[in-house]
Amino acid sequence: METADLTHHISRRFNEDLERVRSKVLAMGGFVEQQIHKAITALLEGDSSLGESVALADHQVNNMEVSIDEECSRILATRAPAAGDLRVIVAIIKTITDLERMGDEGEKIGYIASRLAAMERPADKYREIKHLGRIVTEMVHAALDAFARMDAEAALHVARQDRLVDEEYEAIQRQSITFMMEDPRSIRRALDVMWVVRSLERIGDHAKNISEYVIYMVYGKDVRHTSLEDVERALGHRSGSEETPPGAAS
Amino acid sequence: MRPGVQALGYAATRVAGTALAGVLLGALAGRPWIGMALALAAYLLWHLALLYRVEWWLQHRSVAEPPEAVGVWGTVISLIARLHRRKRFHKQRFVQLMRQLQQSTAALPNGVVILNAQREIVWFNRMAGRLLGLRQNTDLGVRIENLLREPQFGRYLAKGDYTNPVVVRRSSPQDSYLSVQLVAYGDGQQLLLAADVSRQMRLEAVRRDFVANASHELRSPLTVISGYLETLSQDAALDAEFATPIAEMRRQAERMNSIVRDLLELSRLEETDERAGGEPLDVAGLMALLRRDVLARPVHPREVRLRVDSDAALIGKESEIHSAFANLVDNASKYTPPEGVIEMHWWTDLEGGHFAVSDTGIGIAAEHLPRLTERFYRVDPGRSRATGGSGLGLAIVKHVLQRHGAELEIASTPGKGSTFTCHFPPERVLLAEPARSNG
Repeated sequence: METADLTHHISRRFNEDLERVRSKVLAMGGFVEQQIHKAITALLEGDSSLGESVALADHQVNNMEVSIDEECSRILATRAPAAGDLRVIVAIIKTITDLERMGDEGEKIGYIASRLAAMERPADKYREIKHLGRIVTEMVHAALDAFARMDAEAALHVARQDRLVDEEYEAIQRQSITFMMEDPRSIRRALDVMWVVRSLERIGDHAKNISEYVIYMVYGKDVRHTSLEDVERALGHRSGSEETPPGAAS
Repeated sequence: MRPGVQALGYAATRVAGTALAGVLLGALAGRPWIGMALALAAYLLWHLALLYRVEWWLQHRSVAEPPEAVGVWGTVISLIARLHRRKRFHKQRFVQLMRQLQQSTAALPNGVVILNAQREIVWFNRMAGRLLGLRQNTDLGVRIENLLREPQFGRYLAKGDYTNPVVVRRSSPQDSYLSVQLVAYGDGQQLLLAADVSRQMRLEAVRRDFVANASHELRSPLTVISGYLETLSQDAALDAEFATPIAEMRRQAERMNSIVRDLLELSRLEETDERAGGEPLDVAGLMALLRRDVLARPVHPREVRLRVDSDAALIGKESEIHSAFANLVDNASKYTPPEGVIEMHWWTDLEGGHFAVSDTGIGIAAEHLPRLTERFYRVDPGRSRATGGSGLGLAIVKHVLQRHGAELEIASTPGKGSTFTCHFPPERVLLAEPARSNG
């Protein structure tokens, strides 16, 4: 009787711990989402102070990553989670790395936005960046939603969307090359724009990674993953192929 | 008790009657005891049969009709049937009421989400689904902050003060704004109310942009006018009769300049409603600076006192804090006669840091106090225009304080003077290290 009560108590506390870490990850995700959104807005509207504020706020993302990382290590050490719980922790550790990188890309866009604000804006007002930016921010949003809902199907949808981003990226690249050839004076600005587009494309990749972790969290079947290397290998296999996981076919 | 005893009496009479009839019938056949046993057995069988029928009915009572019986079984069956009918009636009414309630809340133009003590979603209406992007089949049981991840909402939750709604900018769909408020009720449950305020926010942005652009556009013509007026006022060839009008024009141009300046400052403050960051500011040094500014004016109060009761630093944005404090001191000196006294006071306690400016000026009647920080609000239009104020000073003060999480308290007695106090929260105060105060 007593032991039963005790284990029940421990597992409830454990669930609370896990749920709290998950909430922290999603709060971090929300912050990163806002950073990316602000960085793109700063670029589109030529708002140098907004761009700077994004670049300056990036350390908060790093702090969040460190704090969540510590909490995950603590849970791994004290609770020794197994099966689904272990998958959740592993996925969280990986997710925050991707979120942190997204934050870095946002920081880069913020810096470039504050620099480009001083220059003459192109006639199309960065229409392509606006379009790509919308796709990417929606991808990030959907990936985090899938994480919150543990919704593997939505995650799969996000992962598939990455192809769209890649196509868009290449289209903008071709266009930029044409511009540079037409007017060599625009090369400097075109290069900056390419950096932004590159960052957006990277953010899309990270969003895809996160949705892959969600799929892993929900469908990962191998319970005996005791070392991180094993888990990583399994994940590598998953991200390599885009086939539908068992049960996800609608 | 009594009916029970009575029923027992009836039952006993019946058993006795059956036994007697059995004995009599048996006696006819020459076997009275066997006759009695058979009669009693038949009686028992009848009861058992009825019992089974009742049991079967109770198990299938939603579809089956109640069995017909006489005597005590009849009463029992009709009682059960009545209870059952009544229960069904109440249940139906309850379900109906529930459905009506759900329909009415579902039809609400605002989003409503019911959360349990862990802030997990229990129920939400259609509008909430649309505004917050919630889905019926996946989102029940998910924590609301996991789906509503905007940092503004996180800060709102962390603060735990739900008296006012918070405006959240949604990243998807783009550029939509939600006003979200939590209401606690029952046993730790919470109601989340959400409304789409994108339109209001857009209008607000348009208004802000208009004010900022208009002020900006007014600036260049004003500079030209001021410049010519200055040249004219120094032009010795001009007739003496023009001296007074030109001096007046210069004064008014200067006033317009200060209004435009303040408008621009206000719109800059409004542009970002986020919390001002900041660095530690030396309040005593700032006070000394403000004192020097006041005393440097051609007309100023006789004395400007400084009272520094704390060497704690204030954490804030220097330009903004300076502007707010300067506006307060400026007001005090404007409304205080030359023989009056102004006092600046800085102190800290457990509730945070406090900066007060008191004067011995004309004071403000109580009915004006609540509206004092409105833009262009004038207590005495004639007088304040004469002193050259823009009418925006206190609005700037209010905005700056809001951005620093501080509050403005105004106390005044007409004829005696006023005190404007800024209350800063403890996290805005950086206490001096002991080593430094010793040395």
